[in-house]
Amino acid sequence: MSELVVTDLVAGYGDARVLHGLSFIVAPGEICAILGPNGAGKTTLLRALSGMVRGRGSVRLGGTELTGRSPDAIARRGVAHVPEGRGTFMPLTVEENLRLGAYVRRRRTGVDADLDRIYTYFPALKSRLRQTAGSLSGGEQRMLAIGRALMLRPRLLLLDEPSLGLAPLITRELFRIVRAINEQERTTVVVVEQNAHLALGIAQQAHVLETGRIVLSGTAEQIRADEQVAQSYLGYRV
Amino acid sequence: MAGFLQQVVEGLGAGAIYASLALALVLIYQFTGIVNFAQGELAMFSTYLAWQFTAAGLPFWLALVITLVVSFAGGMLIERVIIRPVEGAPELTVVIVTVGLFIFVNAAAGWIWSFLIKDFPNPFPEGALTAGGVSVGYSTLGILGVVGVVMGLLYLLFQHTKIGLGMRAVASNPGSARLVGIRVGWTLALGWGLAATVGAVSGVLVAPLLFLDPNLMGGVLIYAFAAATLGGFDSPVGAVVGGLIVGVAETLAGAYVGFIGSDLKIGVPLVIILVVLLLRPRGLFGRAVVERV
Ligand SMILES: Nc1ncnc2c1ncn2[C@@H]1O[C@H](COP(=O)(O)OP(=O)(O)OP(=O)(O)O)[C@@H](O)[C@H]1O
Ligand SMILES: [Mg+2]
Repeated sequence: MSELVVTDLVAGYGDARVLHGLSFIVAPGEICAILGPNGAGKTTLLRALSGMVRGRGSVRLGGTELTGRSPDAIARRGVAHVPEGRGTFMPLTVEENLRLGAYVRRRRTGVDADLDRIYTYFPALKSRLRQTAGSLSGGEQRMLAIGRALMLRPRLLLLDEPSLGLAPLITRELFRIVRAINEQERTTVVVVEQNAHLALGIAQQAHVLETGRIVLSGTAEQIRADEQVAQSYLGYRV
Repeated sequence: MAGFLQQVVEGLGAGAIYASLALALVLIYQFTGIVNFAQGELAMFSTYLAWQFTAAGLPFWLALVITLVVSFAGGMLIERVIIRPVEGAPELTVVIVTVGLFIFVNAAAGWIWSFLIKDFPNPFPEGALTAGGVSVGYSTLGILGVVGVVMGLLYLLFQHTKIGLGMRAVASNPGSARLVGIRVGWTLALGWGLAATVGAVSGVLVAPLLFLDPNLMGGVLIYAFAAATLGGFDSPVGAVVGGLIVGVAETLAGAYVGFIGSDLKIGVPLVIILVVLLLRPRGLFGRAVVERV
């Protein structure tokens, strides 16, 4: 049984095709890392999964077809996308940002409890509830964006470069939390990351993307062990 | 001194009307970046509806409620049918669509109700409240009261309801709003509906002071533009404060600046627009203008 099944996914912007038929599957509760050089189409892949760009082919989540649906409809089916950059509502307070994460949840029960859970993951947010999101530091904004995504109680969490622009210490902490969330909530995660070392550290599966095609797939260990891959695609030496 | 206060009070009365139409402009602008040039004409059309209902014998306040409901639905419908197709089109296209809407609504009102002026009933009693040499007409008090209630309701909507929170999210970041599952298209339509409703209030308030004809709101629209520019086109609070300032400035200029008098008063909003655009383009309460490169 697979949670996410992507088949022959083609997507792009206008006439410019960026993804040329991707196929991969993610098992329930698994973390899947998407690696690859700049411009490979990693962000575009996440956008196609969350409906931000139109794709052709098939994306099935728990058996439900997602392609062709609007982003808000896909969010209502439990997909939370933390976009590249900040993606927060700057003029709104931290608490309002988090509550917006629960916007599509029918019942209000559990929302307050979930807020508390998010504060245990990200204590820095708790002391800033009434501050506007725009006044947070870059790292706090990333935490807020992830916290907001969790408020949806997603079955699939899409993370785009969570480490971008963060200090190494904060980045490591963030990945530890993503791992904890994945283990405690059984949330399936697709994470795009430039820092291959970190991503492979928490993922079970990984795919290497180049110019819109998957050029290599395997378990995190296999990818990490492949020295040639490490040098040509991941930009670090083993 | 009493004379001066008298002018200020009257200015506030006029300003409250500008504020309400400016609020309607801002309600649409903050979600879509669209300046709705037809806002005044829509308000005029709503005012005719209210007139029609009272002429048919309905009590004034009932006629008003029906008018507001119809205006809300009409505003949403216009967004869905006319604005939606040009969503995301170049600014000029959208401007031309709203100008076209202006002309169409104006002509439609003339066709339905003729261009002859009509008397619009004043919902407020005659007379005035006098204190310390300053007399405030019940009509002025009523206008301030109604606009105050409208502000209060909008505040409650935006700050204390889930829909209002969603609307603010769309205004701040439509992309992320989609990702949390908000139906952005419907939110924009809701914005148009609210704007049409608030605009209808301003039309109904101003009509008893002027006469009802299809060009009822032409002058008011210019003041509303000045108010929204002064307050900041993306700030509802700014629209209200801007409206009140413009109203008072206009009245004082008419009373105290010799050569202006009542004929040249229309120059006041134009001067305000110009000065604000030169000195502080985002207005008093607006967010910083972010230039996209
Ligand atoms: N909004 C857009 N409109 C048009 N083309 C785009 C847009 N966004 C990305 N592209 C193009 O699509 C291709 C893939 O971009 P994408 O952002 O998916 O890459 P990426 O793998 O996320 O890169 P990075 O590691 O730099 O974030 C690039 O060639 C880029 O120029
Ligand atoms: Mg990217």
